[in-house]
Amino acid sequence: MPRAAARSAADGVAALDAAAPLPWLPAAAPASIQAALDGQLARETWKHSPLGKMLQALLDAPVSLKLPLQAVQEGISATPFSSLDAPPALAFDLQRYPLAGVVLALSRDGWLIDVRQSPARPLALAPIPGIQAPLLIRVRPGCRVEVEEGPGHGGVQAQLRFLRVEQGAIVHWSRAELAENAEQWSLLHASLGARARLQLHQHALGASFRRLDSHLALEGQGSSCDWVGAGVADQRRHLDQQHVAEHLGQDARSRAKLHNLAADRGRCSFNGRIHIHPGATGADADLSNRNLALGTQAEINTKPELEIYNDDVRCAHGATVGRLQEDALFYLRSRGLGEAAAHSLLGAGFLAECIGGPFAVQVSECFLARLARAATSKPAGAPR
Amino acid sequence: MSLLEIDDLHAEADGKAILQGLSLTLEDGQVHALMGPNGSGKSTLANVLAGRPGYQVTRGDIAFKGEDLGALAPEERARAGLFMAFQYPVEIPGVSNMEFLKAAVDSRAAAQGGEQPSAVAFMQRARRLAASLDLDPEFLKRGVNEGFSGGEKKRNEILQMLMLEPRLAVLDETDSGLDIDALRTVAEGINRFRREDNGMLLITHYQRLLNHVQPDRVHVLAEGRIVESGDGDLARALEERGYAWLRD
Repeated sequence: MPRAAARSAADGVAALDAAAPLPWLPAAAPASIQAALDGQLARETWKHSPLGKMLQALLDAPVSLKLPLQAVQEGISATPFSSLDAPPALAFDLQRYPLAGVVLALSRDGWLIDVRQSPARPLALAPIPGIQAPLLIRVRPGCRVEVEEGPGHGGVQAQLRFLRVEQGAIVHWSRAELAENAEQWSLLHASLGARARLQLHQHALGASFRRLDSHLALEGQGSSCDWVGAGVADQRRHLDQQHVAEHLGQDARSRAKLHNLAADRGRCSFNGRIHIHPGATGADADLSNRNLALGTQAEINTKPELEIYNDDVRCAHGATVGRLQEDALFYLRSRGLGEAAAHSLLGAGFLAECIGGPFAVQVSECFLARLARAATSKPAGAPR
Repeated sequence: MSLLEIDDLHAEADGKAILQGLSLTLEDGQVHALMGPNGSGKSTLANVLAGRPGYQVTRGDIAFKGEDLGALAPEERARAGLFMAFQYPVEIPGVSNMEFLKAAVDSRAAAQGGEQPSAVAFMQRARRLAASLDLDPEFLKRGVNEGFSGGEKKRNEILQMLMLEPRLAVLDETDSGLDIDALRTVAEGINRFRREDNGMLLITHYQRLLNHVQPDRVHVLAEGRIVESGDGDLARALEERGYAWLRD
């Protein structure tokens, strides 16, 4: 659905009300979206990424309403939002995610994927260029599903996914965003019911511009999520990952672990937020972000945030930024590995802890190739 | 041409002069033991030989197989056949022992114009040698030295030495921190490595390793230079009398 390029972002946002209001997005009136885009929260969370540039790219991008599912399996149905008896509940904070409002308004429709029984095979989300149709994946109580998303697509990309993991259901979600010529924004907004579990593996390369948001709402008692990520940005590439774990139900557990490596003039940014609400007693949350910077011009930004509103919690967070250990580098060189190979191996080892799932081999090879590229392009290093 | 020839070596670390006129010659087929009190410069010599950044040679020469060692980067020294077993082996999480060893063996083979071993042949050899050192072959899958006990780290150093088959091995206090059984295992590995076409420099505080490995020569290092040389009897004398008598 190509559109004429918007003259400006403001004109583009103002034109979003050309069609009838969307029942699943009452807040998507242009004024609300524009206010959110201009708001303090968006400015803060987009500090390291160009919100205006991404907005303009989205306004100019084609929209695809194609179902981004490679195959529909038994026990799973896919229905356009516009064909549902009742509008889908797509609750999110427009102030924090103004581009979600933009994508919903531009798409005008989306897909509900209803998982009523555990599928035999993983749900494979197909890469589609441009703005993909928003998805709501509902995983019914007790079901178990694996979702695979990757290895991504070049050009302008926007993906908006809502995931509802209902009581006792289990979801393993693996994604690999490996296209380097992409300008991408995506949001995975998940809510977990009682005793539901979500395990998310996210691997990403830096790109022309890449911003990946994940928002996990632990609503049900005893729900649990593990978010593990690894990222590499070299040359002048950009990778910005934002993570929010919201503890709403009692006795919920969240883990977030991300290892990022920036080389050359690459830039890796991360903002990890744990928000424990007043009623979320017994919360157990842990967030860790470790970063390696190779070279003097690589850039790392990291910010862990905690917001805690009750006393009965266990909550830990940590962030580190470092360089390769000289001792380790010498150890490898003393065994005959050249300096570039030693850099690559140490970088790969640092990332390996956070690589997993069905894309692990592909991601490892891809990261290693980028590390080798970075190592051979770096200026003369350690003294002889 | 000697395997290793050190002549009037002066070296410093962090601007502090440590080696002050050390000379030593080691031939193929020989095992030399270098002993000395704390701070005498034993580990400095090992690090200078291996080319560790931060150690500067200020005077003197080191020839390895007739080649000026100072002109080579650490990896070039290793590829030429020099190996140092570390006193404190480094932990490298995320890099498996197997992956690391394969990279090291391949690197050496490439430098020498030889063929890289197939993955299967390499693994079989690594597993066999690990077992011979009482290391569970499963540990080859673990991160390099990650979570290893002190004894496992030292045995891992010996495993690397056996896999890489260097011409000259410098073992920097490989016996420290080992219990009696581990010491015997390590000594067996050292003796297995010993051949007519290679050499070894054993750096140690104590004589106990030399109960299992018979050295051809024993040297005593004090204040950065060799003050006494002899055979195995010298090591036994040091064990009985300490180092103080050499200064008297």
